[in-house]
Parts: sequence; C-alpha cells; structure tokens
Amino acid sequence: MSVDTYDFHTGVTAFFEMATPDARAILPAHLEPIEVRHQRSVLAVMAFLFEKSEAGPFTELMFSVVVPPVVRKWGKHAKGGFYPFLGATSSEESRRQRSERFHFPYLDQNIDAQFIERNGTLRVRAWGGGKPIVDMSVTQEAWEPTSHLLQGFMMNGKQRLRTTLQISGEYTVHENERGSMELFPHPLTQSLLQREVAAYPFREHWFKHGTEVFHSLEAF
Amino acid sequence: MTVEDTKTHELRRDLINFASYNYLGLSYRPEVKEAIKEAAEIYGGGASGSPILSGNTALHTRLAEEVASFKQKEAALVFPTGYSANIGTISGLMRSGDLVVADQFAHASIVDGMVLSKATSRFFRHNRVDDLDRKLRGFEGKKLVVIEGVYSMDGDLPPLADIVEVCREHGARLMIDEAHSAFVFGENGRGVVEHFGFEDEVDIHLGTFSKSLGGQGGYIAGSSRLVNYLRGFSRSRFFSCALSPVVVAGLLKALELARNEPELRRRLWRNVEFMQNRLRNAGVPVGDSTSQVIPIMVRDDARIFQIGEEIFREGVFINPVKYPAVGKHKSRFRMSISAAHTEEELDKGAEIIIQVLERYGICQ
Repeated sequence: MSVDTYDFHTGVTAFFEMATPDARAILPAHLEPIEVRHQRSVLAVMAFLFEKSEAGPFTELMFSVVVPPVVRKWGKHAKGGFYPFLGATSSEESRRQRSERFHFPYLDQNIDAQFIERNGTLRVRAWGGGKPIVDMSVTQEAWEPTSHLLQGFMMNGKQRLRTTLQISGEYTVHENERGSMELFPHPLTQSLLQREVAAYPFREHWFKHGTEVFHSLEAF
Repeated sequence: MTVEDTKTHELRRDLINFASYNYLGLSYRPEVKEAIKEAAEIYGGGASGSPILSGNTALHTRLAEEVASFKQKEAALVFPTGYSANIGTISGLMRSGDLVVADQFAHASIVDGMVLSKATSRFFRHNRVDDLDRKLRGFEGKKLVVIEGVYSMDGDLPPLADIVEVCREHGARLMIDEAHSAFVFGENGRGVVEHFGFEDEVDIHLGTFSKSLGGQGGYIAGSSRLVNYLRGFSRSRFFSCALSPVVVAGLLKALELARNEPELRRRLWRNVEFMQNRLRNAGVPVGDSTSQVIPIMVRDDARIFQIGEEIFREGVFINPVKYPAVGKHKSRFRMSISAAHTEEELDKGAEIIIQVLERYGICQ
C-alpha cells in the first residue's frame, strides 16, 4: 500500500565500489552486502531534487550500501535493495516527515545542493554548514521511461524494518565509467573518507521528471 | 574454419568462423592431427592420474621443458586448463594478510584465484596506472599485481612499461596472463612481454594452450624456485588429472610449428590489419583493439542477439556478448581473427557483418 509520493525534477543514483569489510562494518548483522566482484561491495550515492511532497520541495542526499532484496514467491521482484546509513535534506520538515515514517538516518543539518546539467552531464554539488560535502557527476546514454521497484532496509533501535519503493520517470543508465565523485571532509562523509571507496561510479543512473512512491513500512 | 551447428550437431563448413581462439590455425594442421593419432595409439585416451602420481608421462615433462625454452625461462609448469593455472598459481602463492591487485577486466579465473587465496583483493581501473598506484599504496606485506596481455573482451593491451615501474616502486610481484597474446605478440611469439621488451621484469608468465596452439591446458613459466614451489602448492594441478597425453602430443607439435613458422604470425597480423581497416573504413565501431580480438561495439543490449542471429543466417559465426559479461550498454560482438582465414573469407565475412550492422544503424 502506498503511503507517500514524492515528485522529483531530477534524481541521481551512482554506484561506487567499496571494500566489503567496510560495507560489513556499516551494515547491521542481518544484512549482507552485494558484491560486484570479490571483496568489492557497492556504495550507492543518491541525490534527488524533489519538487512536490507533503513536506514541500526539498533536496535529499543519501548514502547507502546495496544489499540483496527479499524475493517473495509471488508478485513483482524488486530490482535492488538499499541500506541507507547516512543522509541529509535541505529542510527540517522533510527530515522530520521521512524520519518518522521511514526511520531514515539523517544528519540533523540542512544541506544545499546544485544540480547543474550541461552537455549530457549532470553535476551535483552539495554543501552543509558552509562546507562542501560532495561533488559528483553522472553522464547520459539513451533516455527511456522506466519504473524501478526497490527495497529499503532501515533500523529503529533493534527493530528491523523494510519498505518497498517505486521510482518512475525518464531514465538513462550506463556503465561507461564517465562519472566522478569527490568527497570532502564533513560529518556526512567522515566515515567514508576513512574507507576505501572508488572515485568514479561503475554504474550511473539519472532520472528526470518522475515520482518516488513509498509503500508501508514492515517490521520483519 | 569449421563450426558445429549447436542445433543439428552437424559441421557447418559454409559458415565463416570469427568465434574461434584458434589464432594460428594450428588446431586443424595435419601434422598436429597425426601427432594426436600416434599418441592415442601409444597412450590411449587419458593420463589416468594426477601429475604428482602416475599421470605425468615423458610427453608432459617434454612439454614443460619446451614451454620453458620457448619462454626463455628457467622452468615451466603445465596445468590441465588455463583456468586452473590461474587459480592454482594465485591461491598457491598468496595467503591471508597478503595483497593481490588485478585489473578490473581480469579474467574470472584470476578473480577466483584471488578468492581462494584469502588475500586482500583489490581491483584497479582498467589500464589506469594511477589507480594501480593508489591501490598498492600504504600496504605493507606481500603484494602481487595481475594483468593480462590482451584483454579478451576489448582486445586492448596493458601499459606494461608503466605497470612494471609502479610494481617496482611498491615492491610488488607482477604476473601476466598471456592467454590471448602468447604465440601472437612479439617477434618470436613470446607475448606482449617480448613485444614491449619486459620479459625479465615480469615475475610470473602465464598462458594457455587452448588459444593459439589450438589444444587445451595452461602453463606458468618463471624461475625454478617459483615453479618448484607451485609444483607442491598449486592445488588445482596437484589434485587434477594430468592433461591427456593425446592432447600433449598435439600441443608439442603445435608448439614446434608455432616456433618454426613465424610466417603464421605474419599472416595473422596481415589478416588483423585487413579486418581492422575494412571495419573501420566502413564506420564499424571497433573500440581500442590493437590485437586479433576485435570488439564490434553494438551497445544495444536489447537487439544484440537478434543482430547476431541475422549475421549467423547470412553465413558468419561471431560471438554476441552482453550484460553482465560486459557493462550495461556495452554489448558487442567479439571477433577473433586467425592466420587460417583466407583474404576471401575475411572480405566476405566483413561484407556480411557490415551489411547487417548498416541495416541496424550501427555503422558510424
């Protein structure tokens, strides 16, 4: 059952290789990281520019470890699973709303972000507390409409939670390794800067003019 | 070159085969076939034993010696497959607490060797020496870097001089898998190490017999200490049945021909040049290949098999490759050129491929 819909103008999910021991250190014991190759797990960096939501327009930056989705016998299978471990938004209202409903682990600080599109490249620059957080770019291939069914795994104390989300919109994806990411010292990136994270994404997702629909949170 | 139709199990002599690793055409040579027949009369079908027990014949010993002589190394060790050569060598040499760094496009057998070794595994961005340097930096302990001579999906070569330098700086050993480059590159066919002039700077030379020699098996060549150590510690060899003497006899003959007939390599390179030019002039995107492995970049994951079927129907056998074997939107045909191709076959094959690709708007 859908509980929340967020309309976005632009969204990026870029996937970076990270050391599996580092991914394991972030994940709770019941979740396993997906490996793209031996000892290389996946860090997903998501940046979305939401235009319309219950909490008004806002920007969100979220760092997640990619995990296998739970596959049920019947019904549509999720394309991927995410364990978001640290994020931030541009408004207190959006953080309050999404934390209450989905237990997203937000840093309690407003961030600002620029989404700059030029010559088939989207550059996302984010700041918080006057300090740069991340400078990331992704590039385009062919555009097509898509709808991705995904799962998010969260914790509320010791309670294990799961939600299903659907991201729909215009979409381009490739693995041509043309993007990049620079992380800057900031409370949001502190744990990542001490870890072994690739400086370029091996897969780049770029969405435009779409919706993110969240389903009810389940304990499991 | 002959192709078996997988649907009818009949040999299709009408197809032009660009999907074979038989780069020097040695698999079909009458001398090789004759050597195989003679060995079958003497030895029967198989080795019937592990190489450390009863499986090693005089032929096996001779093959190892011939490989060492060909590679100009102190010693060589023969494995039942190229796959087992990689997993046996890497897992035999490296242990938990060591570091193995491989190119991100390294073959699955290299990756599996890293897994088995339990060493810390890292991958550097394809052919990016700056990234290799980063991955080696700050690690104290035993380090091994693994690269390939020719990368099998892209047909490109490693920047060997720079890699050798970075390995030296970090005190890392260097291993090269010349599965697709041995017997093809270098004036004497000793691979890209000979081509670039770094035969002594590379510590472990690995190759296969299943590509240019048209048979089966793998080998490593290097110092006697290395080979002796691996004789006891490469479990994939130790606990496998030795290569069939029939195969070994064919390999000895094929190796002899590869060494004595440099014109085979010259013909192969003429064929490569012909096909590269033919395809490039027609606007076929062939990537950065500088070898006999030519990727034809289709980049259309949805239609690659359909295009491949059409090319097959028109008389060319070529391998379609798509995600996850390669990245998303990096689907391609992998074309392998052989010295055994005639100019007529190359021309006709190229014409068919170009015509089909033009119909799909692939040519630029």
